[in-house]
Amino acid sequence: MIAVVGLVVGVVAGLLLQPTVPVELQPYLPIAVVAALDALFGGLRALLDGIFDDRVFLTSFLSNVVVAALIVFLGDQLGVGTQLSTAVVVVLGIRIFSNAASIRRHLFKA
Amino acid sequence: MSRHGPAAARGPVDASMTLLNEVSRRPLDPGYQLVADERAAGVRRPPTARSRAVVLVVALVLGVALTAATAALRQPATSASQARRVLESQIVDRTEEAAALQDQLDGLAAEIGALQSALVGSAEATYRDEVAAGAVEAAVLPVHGPGLRIVLTDGPPDEDDPESLDSRVQDVDLQVLVNGLWGVGAEAVAINGERIGSTTAIRSAGSAVLVDLTPLTSPYTVEVVGDGDAMQTELSRTLAGQHLATLRTTFGIGVTTATARRLDLPGTGPTTLREASVPAGAAPKLAPGSASGAQDVGGSAGPGEGSAP
Repeated sequence: MIAVVGLVVGVVAGLLLQPTVPVELQPYLPIAVVAALDALFGGLRALLDGIFDDRVFLTSFLSNVVVAALIVFLGDQLGVGTQLSTAVVVVLGIRIFSNAASIRRHLFKA
Repeated sequence: MSRHGPAAARGPVDASMTLLNEVSRRPLDPGYQLVADERAAGVRRPPTARSRAVVLVVALVLGVALTAATAALRQPATSASQARRVLESQIVDRTEEAAALQDQLDGLAAEIGALQSALVGSAEATYRDEVAAGAVEAAVLPVHGPGLRIVLTDGPPDEDDPESLDSRVQDVDLQVLVNGLWGVGAEAVAINGERIGSTTAIRSAGSAVLVDLTPLTSPYTVEVVGDGDAMQTELSRTLAGQHLATLRTTFGIGVTTATARRLDLPGTGPTTLREASVPAGAAPKLAPGSASGAQDVGGSAGPGEGSAP
């Protein structure tokens, strides 16, 4: 639970402090946010499954974001940036959807 | 509980679908299950205070970064719309400014006209009539009288090539029409309220038609003062009439012609003619007669230029 508390405190701090993101990182932000969403949904599902773990949650969060940004960076270098971004969004989107469906089954038993 | 464990494989799995199956059947990070299994088996040590602190710090940093990223993603849209608003207000301001200046210009032109006629009024009657006739011909004074009203409307856009300008009224169409009208005895011509004088240009800039540098849009209403019935009959016999027929049949451009009992055409106000001259001494040796000054007649639709019927 420490991870969740830390994340919430971090979000609040971010809202209050309004830090700016360096311009060089701007292209990777959309994919990074989608990856973070995927990690959040995965964590929520694990919580409902009763197997939530702080370290696994944080590791998956961090690696998701970094790997997603890395793929976009690689794609940009190879000239297939938009296609790779689409691929990442499709994969993460499918995962978010099936995790959301699982969460729904837990919450509404349907 | 373990819907996603190693035993979660449902039904026969197609080997060629490994990637998609991996994505859709095991959406949850396998790490969760692994740790849960370890914990159940009692192999996993409880977290130390140090690892808790690390987790907290990493979580804090990730939270701040996530918020910053989301905020940064929302920013460009607002700044772009702000820039758009500024540009819009600038356009409105400048348009109003231009309209105010045009009003001022019209007022001053009327004043000049009044002063001119007061000056000429003291002269002989024949001289006065000559000046008045010249002013009408030069499109300086507003005129009214019976005539013809021709409306050109853009045709439907080409479905295969929506960018094509073929089905739209172009500057050359209006040039041909206006020249044709001068040819069949038009006394004064205006397009969408822009009077055509001897120095008025009908041009195109991009896809817009400019008349006297004022951009106009469809429908284009060409108002002509003169003998309406005669002009209508004569026009159909000229090249301009044929051109209009081609526009109607080939490109679907709407052409309606109607006589009008009274048309009010504005004047352009006094025009200043400019002449280019070669400075003394700089003139190259030329054959006599070829070194006349070039008049700045930018118009393509001046009176007398039309094709005679």
